[in-house]
Amino acid sequence: MDRRKKIKVIISMIGLDDHIVGGVVVSSILRDAGMEVVYLGTYQTPEMIVQAAIQENVDVIGISSHGSNYSQIMELMGLLRKKDMKDILVICGGTIPKQQIPKLKEKGVAQVFTPQSTSESIVNYIVSNVRGAEGGLNK
Amino acid sequence: MKRETDYGHPIKAVYTPKDIEGLDYERDLGDPGIYPYTRGYYPNGYRSRLWTQRMTAGLGSSVETNRVLKEYRDIGQRGGMCVICDRSFAIPIDSDHPIGRKEAGVLGWPGSSLLEFEELMDGIPMTGQSVTLLSTCASGALQLAYIVAYAEKTGVNLSEIHGAGMSYPFANCFGQSDNQPLDLNVKLFLDTSEYAIRNKIKMRSAILSQHFQEAGGNNAQALAMEMAMLNELCGLLVKDRGLDFDDVAALPYELVSVGIRFFEEIAKIRALRRMWAKLAKEKFKAKKEKSCQLLIAVHTSGRTMTYQQPLNNIVRTAIETLAGAITGCTAIDNATLDNAHAEPSPLAARMSLNTQYIVADETGVTDVVDPLAGSYYVEYLTNKVEEEAYKIWNKIEDLGGMIAAVKKGYIQEMVREAMLERYREVQSGDRLVIGVNKLAVPPEEDFEIPIKEVKAEDSEKIARRMEEWKKTRNMGLVVESLSQLYEDAKKEDRYNLMPSIIEAVKAYATAGEIMGVIRRARGLSYDPFNMIDCPFSFE
Repeated sequence: MDRRKKIKVIISMIGLDDHIVGGVVVSSILRDAGMEVVYLGTYQTPEMIVQAAIQENVDVIGISSHGSNYSQIMELMGLLRKKDMKDILVICGGTIPKQQIPKLKEKGVAQVFTPQSTSESIVNYIVSNVRGAEGGLNK
Repeated sequence: MKRETDYGHPIKAVYTPKDIEGLDYERDLGDPGIYPYTRGYYPNGYRSRLWTQRMTAGLGSSVETNRVLKEYRDIGQRGGMCVICDRSFAIPIDSDHPIGRKEAGVLGWPGSSLLEFEELMDGIPMTGQSVTLLSTCASGALQLAYIVAYAEKTGVNLSEIHGAGMSYPFANCFGQSDNQPLDLNVKLFLDTSEYAIRNKIKMRSAILSQHFQEAGGNNAQALAMEMAMLNELCGLLVKDRGLDFDDVAALPYELVSVGIRFFEEIAKIRALRRMWAKLAKEKFKAKKEKSCQLLIAVHTSGRTMTYQQPLNNIVRTAIETLAGAITGCTAIDNATLDNAHAEPSPLAARMSLNTQYIVADETGVTDVVDPLAGSYYVEYLTNKVEEEAYKIWNKIEDLGGMIAAVKKGYIQEMVREAMLERYREVQSGDRLVIGVNKLAVPPEEDFEIPIKEVKAEDSEKIARRMEEWKKTRNMGLVVESLSQLYEDAKKEDRYNLMPSIIEAVKAYATAGEIMGVIRRARGLSYDPFNMIDCPFSFE
């Protein structure tokens, strides 16, 4: 991969979800892999996450989710589309049931990492799919 | 693979009398029913009283949760009911709040008004079974008020109701957050506890290590955390609120997370009984024997439930339930096989309850009290986990106690490190988890299990109902009760807010309104998310 600057990632919970284990662990994995992580923490609305993504000029948004009706992730995807931020790679992780995964992907979520996904699988996915990467988002 | 306890102590191949040299039966164990209660509180164990077999309910609307509670009763849950609240009531904000409405009914029942509680309990007995309502510290104050108001309204004798509804003020550090400041939570904990104790209401307060442990904490840390919390909170009730320790001791219940480290889990609970008994007798000078017996319920660990190959979780739950049963606990509720995917489906709930019955009725575990006592290994582990826990607890006390340790960020850092350590252990293969880092199968070959979901439109329906219903209330009564609450909440912290919270609940003021008014009186914003303005003006 030929990149001059570090990949910059937001890791956030969304809405009232206060289960932080996944977000904390993944932040640490990505930092260890040399990425710059902006950890937003809990109680973030879709608007707040988009605002932070603009301000921080991130390449990736990672949403950690534990138990949800997924409406706020859908909202986040809608906002990104509206703001023409389609080149930001959005990934989700957590206790997301299998049945939900195609619905999230249909809305533009690039990948869903279920519990106990390996560090390598998450890091490799980001590295090969982030904007600017070969085969990455370049819209 | 590591051969050490979950708190990093090496485990040998064989244990002999040498490993428990100096163990004094009378001093360190005692018969069941005898101080220091390491072996349990009842001479005849489960022969006198079986543990309460229960399942946690709560998802979608209150009416839906009520239906599930009735189903659980039909399949044999009679000793006690257990309900968990949704994300909005956990804060608490109302189901029609701009964020609250998006998660109404997610992960629990949307209990933001007395109306919701009336629907939840419709046709379900308030007495003759324990009523356990799980939530956060702030919403616990509302739950206690619901119990009092509902008993009065339905003519049930309040003194005959028993269970648990209030909660400790530290869960915000352990991923079970109400987004309220620590000083407000400590006040609400003291207010609810004092009110229940002075009015002889047999509703207990959750002071528990379960949230901490589910976030990643190990067994020794969990014991230390539990003892540090009990020490500080009971101490405050005695010193600050002038209560008698023997009354205070009947307040807490501990929900222990029992994981998959079979012998270590059993040792942990035996050590906890001994540690509390000593604290109660030696520090708090308990006069009643009962005060030396901490009420301990078991939750089989959700953290050990894997996403991969979910049927394996039935086996894990069975092992954990057996461990819980061996310890002689008061109640068990199980994580379910679909715990890493969603809230319990009917199939998963039935499997969990069946698991408890198989353990209780088929294995013989109820025949003999504390059957592992005297095992060189289990006694060694009991001593060891206690010793390690005392070290961590002492560290917390050196920092000035639990509240001070939270303010200094010490506890939060401990949780963070524990989370990372658990993940590293599995990634490196130091701990084997079947279906995850051993005998894994590709996702497409995994078993399909039924999934119970809450849809966005279900949450919106709950929100709309609350919006419409709010308009039908007698607003004169609502405002009158809230202005009294506002006035009281401006008084010193020791002034108990429960009487005015109960009056407001009876007038059908909502949880969001009640907490908002308390927040305003304390100089905070009405809405913790700053999205809605206070609709009342009292000045």
